[in-house]
Amino acid sequence: MSLASPLIGAVQLALVVLGGPLLLGLMRVVRSRLEGRDGPPVSQPWRDIAKLARKQRTRPSESSWIFAAAPLVLVATAATVAVLAPLVTLAPPLAGSTDFIAVIFVLLVGSVALALAALDTGTAFGGMGASRALTIGALVEPALLVAVLALSLPLHSTNLIAIVANGSRHVSTLLGPSHLLALGSFIVVILAESGRLPVDNPSTHLELTMIYEALILEYSGPDLAAVTLGESMRLAIWLGLFVNLVAPVGIAANAHALAVVVGLVALSLKVAVVGIAIAIFEVTTAKLRLFRLPELLAGGFILALLGVVTGAVMR
Amino acid sequence: MVYWLFLAPLVAGLVALLTPWRPAVAWLGATSAAVVLVLGVGFAVRIERSGPVGSGVLRVDALAAFLVIVIGSVSLLATVRSVSYLTDEVRTGRSTLRHAALYSTLVQGFIAAMVLAVVANNLGVLWVAIEATTVVTTFLVGHHRTPAALEASWKYIIICSVGIAVAFLGTAVLYLAGVHAHVANPLDFTTLAAHAALLNAPVVRLAFTLLVLGYGTKAGLVPLFSWLPDAHGQAPAPVSALMSGVLLSVALSAILRLRVIAVGALGPTFPRVLLLAIGITTLVVAAAMLLAQRDLKRLLAYSTMEHMGIMTVAAGVGGPLALAGVLLHILGHGLVKGVLFLDAGEVLRLEGTTRIARLGGLLARRPALGAILALGLAGLLGLPPFSIFVSELTMLRAEAGAGLWWVAAIVLGVLAIILAAILAHARTMLLGASETSTSSPASFVAPLGVALGAAVWFGLVAWPLAHLLSLAAGVVA
Amino acid sequence: MTTFANALGSAAVLVTVGAVVVLWRHRLRSIVAALAVQGVALAATAALLGVHEHDRGLLVVAGLVLLVKAAVIPGLLARVVAATPGARESDPLVNVPASLVVAGLLTLGAFVAARPIVALVGGPTGKLVPLGLATVLIGFFTMVARRRAMSQVVGLLLVDNGIALVAFLVTSGVPVIVELGSTLDVLFGVVVLRVLLARLSALGFSDLDQLRSLHD
Repeated sequence: MSLASPLIGAVQLALVVLGGPLLLGLMRVVRSRLEGRDGPPVSQPWRDIAKLARKQRTRPSESSWIFAAAPLVLVATAATVAVLAPLVTLAPPLAGSTDFIAVIFVLLVGSVALALAALDTGTAFGGMGASRALTIGALVEPALLVAVLALSLPLHSTNLIAIVANGSRHVSTLLGPSHLLALGSFIVVILAESGRLPVDNPSTHLELTMIYEALILEYSGPDLAAVTLGESMRLAIWLGLFVNLVAPVGIAANAHALAVVVGLVALSLKVAVVGIAIAIFEVTTAKLRLFRLPELLAGGFILALLGVVTGAVMR
Repeated sequence: MVYWLFLAPLVAGLVALLTPWRPAVAWLGATSAAVVLVLGVGFAVRIERSGPVGSGVLRVDALAAFLVIVIGSVSLLATVRSVSYLTDEVRTGRSTLRHAALYSTLVQGFIAAMVLAVVANNLGVLWVAIEATTVVTTFLVGHHRTPAALEASWKYIIICSVGIAVAFLGTAVLYLAGVHAHVANPLDFTTLAAHAALLNAPVVRLAFTLLVLGYGTKAGLVPLFSWLPDAHGQAPAPVSALMSGVLLSVALSAILRLRVIAVGALGPTFPRVLLLAIGITTLVVAAAMLLAQRDLKRLLAYSTMEHMGIMTVAAGVGGPLALAGVLLHILGHGLVKGVLFLDAGEVLRLEGTTRIARLGGLLARRPALGAILALGLAGLLGLPPFSIFVSELTMLRAEAGAGLWWVAAIVLGVLAIILAAILAHARTMLLGASETSTSSPASFVAPLGVALGAAVWFGLVAWPLAHLLSLAAGVVA
Repeated sequence: MTTFANALGSAAVLVTVGAVVVLWRHRLRSIVAALAVQGVALAATAALLGVHEHDRGLLVVAGLVLLVKAAVIPGLLARVVAATPGARESDPLVNVPASLVVAGLLTLGAFVAARPIVALVGGPTGKLVPLGLATVLIGFFTMVARRRAMSQVVGLLLVDNGIALVAFLVTSGVPVIVELGSTLDVLFGVVVLRVLLARLSALGFSDLDQLRSLHD
């Protein structure tokens, strides 16, 4: 039985929306266990979101519609990518036009919206957070684009679905040095983009060091719920894309119902594994000082560049 | 047959290593250098009669024989001087007996490595030999174990290792070109030169550039020359004499041999442009450093760089005349520079400094040292009747004869600047009054006098080297 | 793309990545570790070529490279580094992000410079020559852009490893004796450097960076 492509989109969206907060909860559990604490249950982020959604909303008196719109933009961009990206299957809606660069920019629109909203509050922390977040963003972007270039070299195409499909058909592509370097760069980018250690400490509330937390300091109630949901969806999407580029095992090649179910399970497992790995890494690593960040991201950039050169050389 | 060349340094080195040091050990070292010289002459005579000796990896042709003679003569000068140098070092407690023994051993290893480099007919052996000179001389440069000496030897080994690494890359790339042209023995100089036209031109271009940069480092050519003044300034005087007098020329001779292959594969233009560019830049840099120099030993070091530049320019022009000039220049420069470094070493021992400004009145205070310095500098500047005058004139004539007037003009212009600079420094050092006047022992003056005499002899009459020179120039013309 | 080409490419890339990591990291200990990894990758390259071309000599060279460049030399350097725990390249002449950008440019430059060789050799091996050349250039850059004496030695070894990589790739049959000679020579050079360092510490200098007396 083949599923209609809007239905597939809905399945992917549901998985990302439901799974995103659970992924965040899973990573927190792993971290707490490794640090010797019991920690909250895996479902805690969902409970937080539910609790926040019921609370009263307060907004800074000086803020404009930008502040109000940003959480929605964040969730909407993440939802768009969740529908269109090759997460569970290689046959999501509009498969022919899922450009890798477009996907990345849709995701980045969410980041920029948050940064603008933080500026919009007019507070010192908001401004500081926005400046830091945009600095990182500016450094992430070249690395990301060059990594995409490296990944797209074998096919001469930046169609994300084609790239993932090529990987699932020709395993040797996945083991090529160019591909591996690009993915190495991709890891650095994901850690930076989703505000994980060593770039940003997601559990800090220390003013001097926080980046992401400073951005969303003024949000409360349903707004904060939306922001939390949006961020967890983005993390799930980044990791989902990453695992499918590394090992497109189990991804549904067509829209057949059974294949989609297998793809669903495979994706959940793979993302959970990577999430746990990141959590373990975060426990063992310290946050980099802000002025050392360019070094890390320049390293990501150079890895991607080496990937492009190698890919071009070995062709 | 060729292996006899290494016997004497080997024996003298082993004796120095295994027996407690005493002056006789140093005399044995001098004897070994004399043996190398005599063997070089023997090879030369034989080659003039019946052509190159040996085949395969080691081969003595006219060029190799000539260079062995140069190595032998400058080594003889330096090792004879080493006897009293080491005796004095040991007597004053500046060196322990162990250090003196190490010095004697390393000098023999140094001589053997240079001889190996000039008789090697194989790119790999040449590379190993030149690398060996670096390793050996690093310790000789740091012989005094002062912080400055160790800094100089550090700089020396780091920079020269880079150079030698680049030369290895060039060797591998040239080998690659040989393999792809199906040359029977792609590391063999004679084979490569004979089949040069078959080699892939772009690859040879890359290889030759790398090799010139790499061996050029050891020859004191730009861009990697900054080790040279430090190492020459800090090394013991006889070691400076050996390095400046022959080691740099040995590295240059490797470039001369490689040029033949490059010309065969690429035609004359590319090697000429490369060598002219590097040679002229070296010359100009050396002139600039000479102008503002404040130390006698560093002055001599930069002057060596200048002469390497002159020879590289002439090698770039090419042709039998230019190369005969280069080879005669190697000999004349080796003798004169050896004498000057030994003299500067004695100045350092007696005066406690080689700062030019503090040496004023040297001619009055120490007439023999001052006179040798004056004569040596005159020889270095190419004043007649020294052989450097003849060789520089020959090279300039060859440059003009090849239609490269502008090259000759640049070289002459820079030489004029250097003449003025060195004369000004010489005036500061030599002239001036002094209340005391100390003579030097004949044992110091005599060998240096003989060497200067030889440099004049080859300037006035080419006998008995004329035929060998033209044969040797023919090898790399 | 065959498995051989992929494996060879990965090993060669790892050599270049090792050079980049040297520029990237500050702690001398990490820098020496990167050098050791590079040695392993270099040995792997030689071993892969040896297996692929059924060349016993190359396998011997691979073993020697593994011993010298992945164990002995990093070991010697590690002992020097251990003498000053926590030693860092804290204030390089060119800061890290700029260095990495330069490394990228050098890689592109190597790509251009190696074209005649790639054209001549071709095949999966010849194509990787730019990576070796890039390592050489990054090594040179490390020597000029870093202050610490140890970093300069590492830069020199990067140059050497890059050259060894090129030599393996272009002429998988360079006479084994020449390869042996060059590897041993490098070992010899490092021993000399260590002796120099020991003599310096005997004079009371903790490292070479305090020596800045010779200049014009």
